[in-house]
Amino acid sequence: MSDFARKGWIGKILVLLLVFGLVPAALAFAGKGYFFQVANLVLIFALLAASLHLVTGAAGLLHLGHAAFYGIGAYVAALMGTDLKLGFIWGLPAAGLVAAAFAFVVALPTMRLVSIYFAVATLAIGQMINTVLLNWVAVTKGPNGVMLFSGINLFGFALKAPLAVYFVVAVLVSLSIFVLHRLSHSYYGNALRSLREDDQCADAMGVNTVRLKIEVFTISAFFAGVAGALWAYTTGYVSPNDFGFSTSILILAMIVVGGLGSLPGAIIGAVVLILLPELLRGLGDLRNVMVGLVMFFSILFMPKGLFGEVSALSLVRRGFGLKWGAAPSNREVGWQ
Amino acid sequence: MTLTRHPLTRRTLVGLALAAPLATALAGTALAADPIRIGYQLPLTGNTAQYGQDFKTAAEIALARFNASGRLPVKVEIVFEDSRSDAKEGVTIARKFVDDPAIVGVLGDFTSGVSMASAQVYKEAGMPQLSQSASHPDYAKISEWQFRNITTQAGEGPYNAAWMLKKGIRKVALVGEQTDWGQTSVKYFADAFEAGGGKVVLTEYFNRGLPDFRALLTKIQRAKPDAVYTAFFYEDAANFIKQMKQLGINIPIYSTSAAHNQKVIELAGADAEGLSLTTNFMPSSPKPEVKDFVAEWVKVRGAEPGQFPAQAFDAVNIMLDAIVKSYPNVTRAKVRDALAATKDFPGVTGTTTFGPDREPVKQLMKVRIVNGVFTPIGE
Repeated sequence: MSDFARKGWIGKILVLLLVFGLVPAALAFAGKGYFFQVANLVLIFALLAASLHLVTGAAGLLHLGHAAFYGIGAYVAALMGTDLKLGFIWGLPAAGLVAAAFAFVVALPTMRLVSIYFAVATLAIGQMINTVLLNWVAVTKGPNGVMLFSGINLFGFALKAPLAVYFVVAVLVSLSIFVLHRLSHSYYGNALRSLREDDQCADAMGVNTVRLKIEVFTISAFFAGVAGALWAYTTGYVSPNDFGFSTSILILAMIVVGGLGSLPGAIIGAVVLILLPELLRGLGDLRNVMVGLVMFFSILFMPKGLFGEVSALSLVRRGFGLKWGAAPSNREVGWQ
Repeated sequence: MTLTRHPLTRRTLVGLALAAPLATALAGTALAADPIRIGYQLPLTGNTAQYGQDFKTAAEIALARFNASGRLPVKVEIVFEDSRSDAKEGVTIARKFVDDPAIVGVLGDFTSGVSMASAQVYKEAGMPQLSQSASHPDYAKISEWQFRNITTQAGEGPYNAAWMLKKGIRKVALVGEQTDWGQTSVKYFADAFEAGGGKVVLTEYFNRGLPDFRALLTKIQRAKPDAVYTAFFYEDAANFIKQMKQLGINIPIYSTSAAHNQKVIELAGADAEGLSLTTNFMPSSPKPEVKDFVAEWVKVRGAEPGQFPAQAFDAVNIMLDAIVKSYPNVTRAKVRDALAATKDFPGVTGTTTFGPDREPVKQLMKVRIVNGVFTPIGE
């Protein structure tokens, strides 16, 4: 195998060609707003799943309130766009930062919790944030939601065409996923996996587990916030219902179906769980039953997911070349 | 005898199976003129599925009668899409409807939130949207393409306030669900009630589906109002009324048309007695159009229809009427103009006229539960 192929360049180029060449070409050819909408939704949920992957997949912390941070991002972007007249350029980073700041504050007390207690704490946090979005009428406009008319405006250029919007979303999601990829496939990612496998052991080895958990929770919320801003700007309307428990569970289902601990798996899971319900529209009322069955059987027969952690890590190892390839033992790592 | 391979191989079978629907599809388009289509986005599954299913039945009744009437030489079809009351599904459906050139108008969605998220798409694409139930004050203001067939609380609130003031009620406690609708219902009522000389002694909101109202009811008891004005739907209504009676609070309860549902009586039983509300649909009305609709509904569902199915039934008919008016060259813009021109449309929820703000102007009726039946009263 040539060095070029070995380092996984072919795979990366194929993915980039797909996201920035094939898909937009197909979308433009079909010329249907419906496909653009679905494509944007897939990208936004791919980012949500990829960011949850870091906390739940890599670090092994069952996070049941991810949608709340997605909601904070969406509301920050929407409220800045309407009340403060600060457009996309400001709204997008602010959405991520505010979501991250919230996550940091709630992470301080909760990160000392383990396993099921952590899961329940995040469940409570998610519900609390959602209830605040619903009931803090003076700021969030409560159940009325926020309408955002401004659209995406990049340095004075108003992007109206669906293809332009798609490219903005695709570029931002790809950049974010690249950062998440470098985080989870590095020594930092290995430290996260050590938390998951045995946090006491990791602690004994000198890994600052509490700090690491706070960091990863905050980083993950940052990207959820960015996804929220993208949702607010691509839809033009946000309301508390979109960021409830069921959305958290949907994102969790994506990373489980795709493969816990696997970043490509998280993205594949998002693609499947957004596209599948759309493809099955013809079935009418049976649609959700079918989606449920697909999830059930995929867990039953492929418990490690569609693209499990073992395959994901060996793929990445090859891509990084020598440093990881020549691991002392050739044992494979990942959720066993 | 030697075994010969059957000429009908698996491959030919598959080929035939694939070709058959294609052939019928081709034949189908060749025979009939292209039907005109209406999109209907509604929750057919999920937490609010019961409403969506009701709308679907109502729409099917209206459509079957329309197509049988022969008012148009071509058939009209309704494309139902399930939004699960989820904004992301609603927006996706909206894009899908806009993409279909045969769709000239859209009905739905059920909740204001999903209706308004989808409205952004319809506004941009120029598609008339008529919701049977979106009651958010800003919904019809989004653009000239949004219509609704539900009396907003801007009309119902003051009407109820005048009714209660006339009955000598001076102090009132307000209870509303924590939704855009609940908030506006309470606000419009409170403004009119206080302007008329009444006093609001307590305003409380609850989250939909609250199982235990006792804390809230105790607060009401302490505030000692003459009556309670409530903005809730039947599920919460039944719970609220039952628990209120259990705590022995015996003051009159007034409510909006949203609580006008046979299920309140089924769920709350004798406790529901005396609940007063306004409505614009009475299944027991002697009007022929109402009798027809109720008879059809009972045939399908086995029980009398409530307020919402009636609103959906009228919404579908108003849309169909607009299509008839814009025939033969039916475009989205013409349907919009025809909708805007709707005047004195005789529906089961009374006559409907769209004002210049695309809000319906309707007649309201006063109703009270007497002996387990919603009974019209003249007070």
